[in-house]
Amino acid sequence: MKYLKEIWASRELLFNLTQREVKGKYKRTILGQLWSLANPLALMLIYTLVFYFILRVQPDPGSPSGLNIFALWLLCGLLPFTFVSTVLNVGLNSLVANANLIQKVYFSRIVLPLSIVGSSAYNWLFEMAVLVIALSIVGGFVLPWIPLLLVAMLLLAVFAAGLALMLAVANVYFRDTQYFMTIFLQIWLYLTPVIYPLTTVQNDSAKVGGLLGTHITIADIYGLNPMEHFVTLFRELLYDERWPDGTEWLICGAWAIAAAVAGLLIFRRNERKLAEIL
Amino acid sequence: MTEVAVRVDHVVKSFRLYHERNQTIKAAIMRGRTSVHEDFLALKDVTFDVPIGSTFGLIGSNGSGKSTLLKCLANIYYPNSGSITHFGKIAAMLEVGSGFHSELSGRENIFLNGSILGMSRKEIVQKFDQIIDFSGVEQFIDQPVKNYSSGMYVRLGFAIAINVNPDILVVDEVLAVGDAAFQERCFQKFRDLKEEGKTVILVSHSMEMVEQMCDHVAWLNRGSLMDVGKAAPTIKAYRKSISTELD
Repeated sequence: MKYLKEIWASRELLFNLTQREVKGKYKRTILGQLWSLANPLALMLIYTLVFYFILRVQPDPGSPSGLNIFALWLLCGLLPFTFVSTVLNVGLNSLVANANLIQKVYFSRIVLPLSIVGSSAYNWLFEMAVLVIALSIVGGFVLPWIPLLLVAMLLLAVFAAGLALMLAVANVYFRDTQYFMTIFLQIWLYLTPVIYPLTTVQNDSAKVGGLLGTHITIADIYGLNPMEHFVTLFRELLYDERWPDGTEWLICGAWAIAAAVAGLLIFRRNERKLAEIL
Repeated sequence: MTEVAVRVDHVVKSFRLYHERNQTIKAAIMRGRTSVHEDFLALKDVTFDVPIGSTFGLIGSNGSGKSTLLKCLANIYYPNSGSITHFGKIAAMLEVGSGFHSELSGRENIFLNGSILGMSRKEIVQKFDQIIDFSGVEQFIDQPVKNYSSGMYVRLGFAIAINVNPDILVVDEVLAVGDAAFQERCFQKFRDLKEEGKTVILVSHSMEMVEQMCDHVAWLNRGSLMDVGKAAPTIKAYRKSISTELD
């Protein structure tokens, strides 16, 4: 609690550092903020071409929304996923990259990784707004779901922040972390139903049945991945436009809180040693 | 007896000297350790008080532990044992312009750097004109700081740091910057702080500067406190020890 108060007291610094990231990132580019759309759009084109036109992945149409556009279906899962992967990739470097600052000035160190969460969230908000507009143009009725969408985004941001805090500390001790994460994030994308529908996994799992004579199915193990639940949440809100199952909310909320608590505890325990170890 | 601004009480600080440092997961798993090290005592049981309103100098040769002590005072390092208590708001100026973003303008950097140093937005707005006046970069305040000359960069950084307005200011060897006029302004600022009853703790290798500015001095040698007290006799003792070493 006391630690949370300390973070709250540094909110102005957090805001200024976030602004530094946001303003500094696209300085001296002609397209400016539009660049933050370039990466998800490029991924969308590539995945749509490869998985929809060549490999013929066919997600079910949104129900009850009736939407049936692969590219938009893809983006509903891809944008949350790329947000998490940006936060982790950049956030885990935030302490090492600011080593000089940490060794010269005293301030609440936690604002460094959190400012990365803030600036990535800013870009993500921008991307999601464009997605909502695109969905509305093709006939989706997304607007009433926006308040719930914001809650889901907040949960995912808290989850990502918790992981980023842990990884940032780990990277101070072991610089391997950053290289490991680059690979892990690629694997994670394919372990999550972003590019293919969750029903594919569930159907295959039902065919195999319980593993090794138990009741545990492949789908159960697959469900241990928190991103599966987050992606499901976002798709149901944005693409299907229906109220997600209560348990999905609970699972996402539990993962978010668990990650945040673990991240804060680990960070606090190591915060004082950072200046010496860096 | 004057009141105390900072109490340094039996402070011990050790660092690990690595003979072999292999900071990878492979080393951690395969050999069950990441390094071979021994402890090096940078500060050995240092105790002294800094009186309120004094200008307090830390002197000693290279490697005597001055900077380590300064970093402990600034809350960047934490002592292994012993404690440092400060009575009042403390600010440290170990480097100027830390956290400047080179693509952002001087104006934006004042707000960024000010908040890193612990000022609120309101305080920065209040002091904004003072900061610009003191730095003398008014004409270029909306230019990105990467276009600043190194002198301008340092002057702006110093102007922000000096306006944090702490009760206790900790300064590392940062005064050797800027032209003569700017240095004179810095000295004047330190004198003003002293008149306001603020405490300044500084490290310097320039004995002339320490003699000119400090009224109290602590002399460190290889992590041990040799002497502490009024400036003139302590500096004299330090000078004497250097000249005997040379002989």
